[in-house]
Amino acid sequence: MERKSGARSGLIPQDCQVTEHGATLVIGLGNPILGDDGVGWRVAEEVQARLQVLGNGPNARVERFSAGGLALMERMVGYPRVILIDSITTGEGTAGNLTCLPLSALPDPSAGHTTSAHDTSLQNALELGRALGARLPKEVWVLGIEAKRIGEFSEQLSPPVEAAVPLAADKVLELLANGGGGIEDHDLT
Amino acid sequence: MTDRITIDPITRLEGHGKIEIFLDDEGNVANTYFQIPELRGFERFCVGRPVEEMPVLTNRICGVCPEAHHMAAAKAADAVYKVVPPPTAKKLRELLYSAFFVTDHTTHFYALSGPDFVMGPQAPVAERNILGVIHKVGLEIGGKVIQARRYGHEVIEIIGGRKVHPCTSIPGGQTRGINEEERTAIEKMGRWAIEFAQFSLQFFADIVLGNQEYLDLILGDIYTHRMHYIGMVDENNHVNFYDGLVSVVDPNGRRLGKYAPEEYRDWIAERVEPWTYLKFPYLRKVGWKGFVGGEDSGIYSATPLSRLNAADGMATPLAQEQYERFFETLGGKPVHQQLAAHWARLIELLYAAERWVELATDPEITGDNFRTVPTETPSEGVGIVEAPRGTLTHHYWTDQRGVLTQVNLIVGTTNNYAPISMSIKKAAENLITKGTVVTEGLLNMVEMAFRSYDPCFGCATHSLPGQMPLEVKITDARGETVEVLRQYC
Repeated sequence: MERKSGARSGLIPQDCQVTEHGATLVIGLGNPILGDDGVGWRVAEEVQARLQVLGNGPNARVERFSAGGLALMERMVGYPRVILIDSITTGEGTAGNLTCLPLSALPDPSAGHTTSAHDTSLQNALELGRALGARLPKEVWVLGIEAKRIGEFSEQLSPPVEAAVPLAADKVLELLANGGGGIEDHDLT
Repeated sequence: MTDRITIDPITRLEGHGKIEIFLDDEGNVANTYFQIPELRGFERFCVGRPVEEMPVLTNRICGVCPEAHHMAAAKAADAVYKVVPPPTAKKLRELLYSAFFVTDHTTHFYALSGPDFVMGPQAPVAERNILGVIHKVGLEIGGKVIQARRYGHEVIEIIGGRKVHPCTSIPGGQTRGINEEERTAIEKMGRWAIEFAQFSLQFFADIVLGNQEYLDLILGDIYTHRMHYIGMVDENNHVNFYDGLVSVVDPNGRRLGKYAPEEYRDWIAERVEPWTYLKFPYLRKVGWKGFVGGEDSGIYSATPLSRLNAADGMATPLAQEQYERFFETLGGKPVHQQLAAHWARLIELLYAAERWVELATDPEITGDNFRTVPTETPSEGVGIVEAPRGTLTHHYWTDQRGVLTQVNLIVGTTNNYAPISMSIKKAAENLITKGTVVTEGLLNMVEMAFRSYDPCFGCATHSLPGQMPLEVKITDARGETVEVLRQYC
């Protein structure tokens, strides 16, 4: 089979290509019933509550999500800027520590086949989406909260992680206030 | 004394899987141990909750196939309340489930198993992914994959109320039905899915079946294991993902019987080994004979290949044609070449798409009788569905109020724990001879063994930064580390 090049349109469903939002998408990631892995959801809820209090605050949409890779990429379509909130285990630092960095600074397991038994990496997924002409964010921030207990089902966060929730929400609001971002307009063909 | 090699795939949410390989004095493989992590406490987490919460709670066990847990839980909850959902509800559930299978099998083939074949098993690791595939064969394929996923998610949202984590199945049926407008949209997407599935099978035929090297790989000895197979079948012994009896066949293809969900304990026993948390299910009536195949060993697998082996055919015409071609090409039933699961998965993809349209055009699908309200006192119940990666069994016990007192789950991958362990051992035997280790080959072959079973080791919901590092540790006979090989560590 030879490689087809050219036309970007028609490669993916129409509504994946044209939706555009001015807002920053804030996504709390994680599993809400898996101990500290639920911290992304908790921070997202805190951010949502604060935005409601602010009223005429930054233009943001807040969501909670429990998927990665392709599904997460598909969720980001049409947003100029995305902030991901997730638990991380760096093995360094203490539980509740915050790490904030652009996605591009995270290690990219470019060989997606070991990323997960069932999916590809978010980086791979974003590259795929861009190659297909999807309107994907220029700027993806990752706010990680060092987790302690993620191997046991529980709706509770461990105390140091719980204590980090308001601090993490502060950081998200700071990122929102700074603005930035834009739609990445790639043509890899 | 033996040498010791450790392969340690570690990631935060996929858990800590670990492979230890022990060598004998001559440096050949003596034994392998594959340890799968366990996320603890789910049973305890459930006890004390009302059973009707289980369809939404269990779909959070695992971010990979929440729809499968949703369905198995709903069926188990039906059984706990001794209620039979009306035909419209059953069909709605199966319709949602068919769309889910299309989504899941598509992702698996194109993002995971496809790259091995399209790029070749010896291609650089960095190219063996979905990006490599689209760069090699064209962007259109990527677009179709995204479209198939989108349509699947759309159907799941229409019937299940939410994307990915459906919430409409409850004891006795569904919380809502669909109207004619929704039905028309679902039918249209299903017709596209049939074309896509046919395209995928043609793609597989061109790329894989047309390439002698890949055919040799599939038909070769490394991934061949003679074992028992299980899979759910309908009243005509055709593959069914949502409902029916579980058919059990031996390595010669002889059917040992079929069991109803509530009979699963008569058929399936679980072996405990001291070196791993996870139990090894095996066929009770055949017995546990260790990690060996053959008719005297109760080890079985539950994969797309197993389902095709355990059934007499497919319930839809196009998939049936492919089913016949599959067994003709591979030399009759049952097929023991485990890598053929990738082909079997695509035949199931076509069946799921055809079933999607069949159900979307069923006159009862838009009916307004979509729930039977339970009136019996709840007690105990079992629900079984075929998850994409194996038979999924949920067993619940409740008190008279319907509050859970005990929960037992046998998830898809657990069924395949013993076969995966056997495949890893065989791959290791082929790649380690007299102490010489083919390092890159070892990692790749072990990964290919994983992938053919499409395993789910943890209850992953997502993964950031999203890597599953592999560590291979080689230890000499004196217990000292000779070499440590790492990938993405």
